[in-house]
Amino acid sequence: MATFELYRRSTIGMCLTETLDDMVSSGALSPELAIQVLVQFDKSMTSALEHEVKSKVSVKGHLHTYRFCDNVWTFILTDATFKNEETTETISKVKIVACDSKLLDTQQG
Amino acid sequence: MSSGNVSTVYISVIDDVISKVRDDFISYGVGDAVLNELQALWEMKMLHCGAISGNIERPKAPAAASGGTPGAGATPPVHDLNVPYEATSEEYATPTADMLFPPTPLQTPIQTPLPGTDAGMYNIPTGPSDYAPSPISDMRNGMAMNGADPKTGRPSPYMPPPSPWMSQRPLGVDVNVAYVENREDPERTGQPSELTKDFLMMSSGKRKRDEYPGQLPSGSFVPQQDGSADQIVEFVVSKDNAQQLWSSIVNKQGTATKAPSSTKGTTVAPTIPQRDGIQDEYNDQFYFQGVPTEDYNTPGESSEYRAPTPAVATPKPRSDVGDDDEPPLNEDDDDDDELDDLDQGEDEPNTQHLVLAQFDKVTRTKNRWKCTLKDGIMHLNGRDVLFNKATGEFDF
Repeated sequence: MATFELYRRSTIGMCLTETLDDMVSSGALSPELAIQVLVQFDKSMTSALEHEVKSKVSVKGHLHTYRFCDNVWTFILTDATFKNEETTETISKVKIVACDSKLLDTQQG
Repeated sequence: MSSGNVSTVYISVIDDVISKVRDDFISYGVGDAVLNELQALWEMKMLHCGAISGNIERPKAPAAASGGTPGAGATPPVHDLNVPYEATSEEYATPTADMLFPPTPLQTPIQTPLPGTDAGMYNIPTGPSDYAPSPISDMRNGMAMNGADPKTGRPSPYMPPPSPWMSQRPLGVDVNVAYVENREDPERTGQPSELTKDFLMMSSGKRKRDEYPGQLPSGSFVPQQDGSADQIVEFVVSKDNAQQLWSSIVNKQGTATKAPSSTKGTTVAPTIPQRDGIQDEYNDQFYFQGVPTEDYNTPGESSEYRAPTPAVATPKPRSDVGDDDEPPLNEDDDDDDELDDLDQGEDEPNTQHLVLAQFDKVTRTKNRWKCTLKDGIMHLNGRDVLFNKATGEFDF
């Protein structure tokens, strides 16, 4: 896996997926080309997060569920507190999905 | 606010994706219009769900356009491409028809000027759905355009597809050349970049289109010299019994060209032989070219309209089907309460709090978990927050 498809579940990724769905359904795009766009999104999103985002976040909370499957960690937190430079937010329940960063590093060389 | 920062990153991602898939779109033969539509739709959806703000978007857009990424700058090349192509196709359409016939002592008159669409239709039958452009035809298009940017030499969705002979050049040209004088060959070998132009113009010292009478005054007689009814010589020589000959010629022409109006066949004043379409000689000529006649007569069935628009069902990039098939046993094994069920039911991205990230390290001592994450997208309380690094401390 050269890139993570993880970020497709984000807002921007879902918007792109919906757009591509619409355009493929209407015949404006071929499915193959739509896949190409998604793959490019994976790369662009990963690169942007790596190079354009500088902020740091700390999370505290009660770990309700943990799961490690196929090199993907999934945590379900309850009463979690997210802190960054600007704000603190408390979330009653949040899911964290994290892929292994080393997979990406080794793939990218 | 952090949302402004997120908006900036998102827009840069959009621009990055759009600019980097452009080559893919080109190689798939999809024009910039589709790419622009994709970007517009994407941004619109982002605006709707509040992931980017319109205020940020406005100042960003010109900057992105100047970066050579998206936008209005992409449209002019399409026009650049289209106009010369149309002109060129009309240039070669008529000479190609004439080429099938060896030149007679008197030049075959150009056919009666047709309504503009008919001239254009000549090139439609020669171009079956050759939609996916080969690199050769791309190059060729680029070279054929006088002054057109080679980079833009690709078919746009609303122009007729390039004729197959443009990509199968060696074969098609050889056939045509056999009918014309061999003299053209040495001329063509001169400059490679001029190959297409020479062929399209077909002139090459032999017959220039300009030499044809462009428009015939209505009512003037143009002798038929295309080989089927070449009795014009007799007609000219023997003027004494001209009337007799004339009627016989007209009759012959009437049968030869299968003129539909039989009344005119005998009593006609001199007119131009019918050249306007359905049953004239040109139809047969085109038939010899291996072109289906129905394309010529019924533009509705031309390949342009038959080009398949794939109505294929969208394959969802993410297959969620597997989730439903998963046996509930496994899902409930690790916990008893209803939280996980809630999690499964909550598919609405706007209501679910979700963090997508990569993990560097996850450790546990007793019931205390520590993890370090990086490059994450968080969707909390309906708002997107990005982070470069994150640390987590959980107790289980």
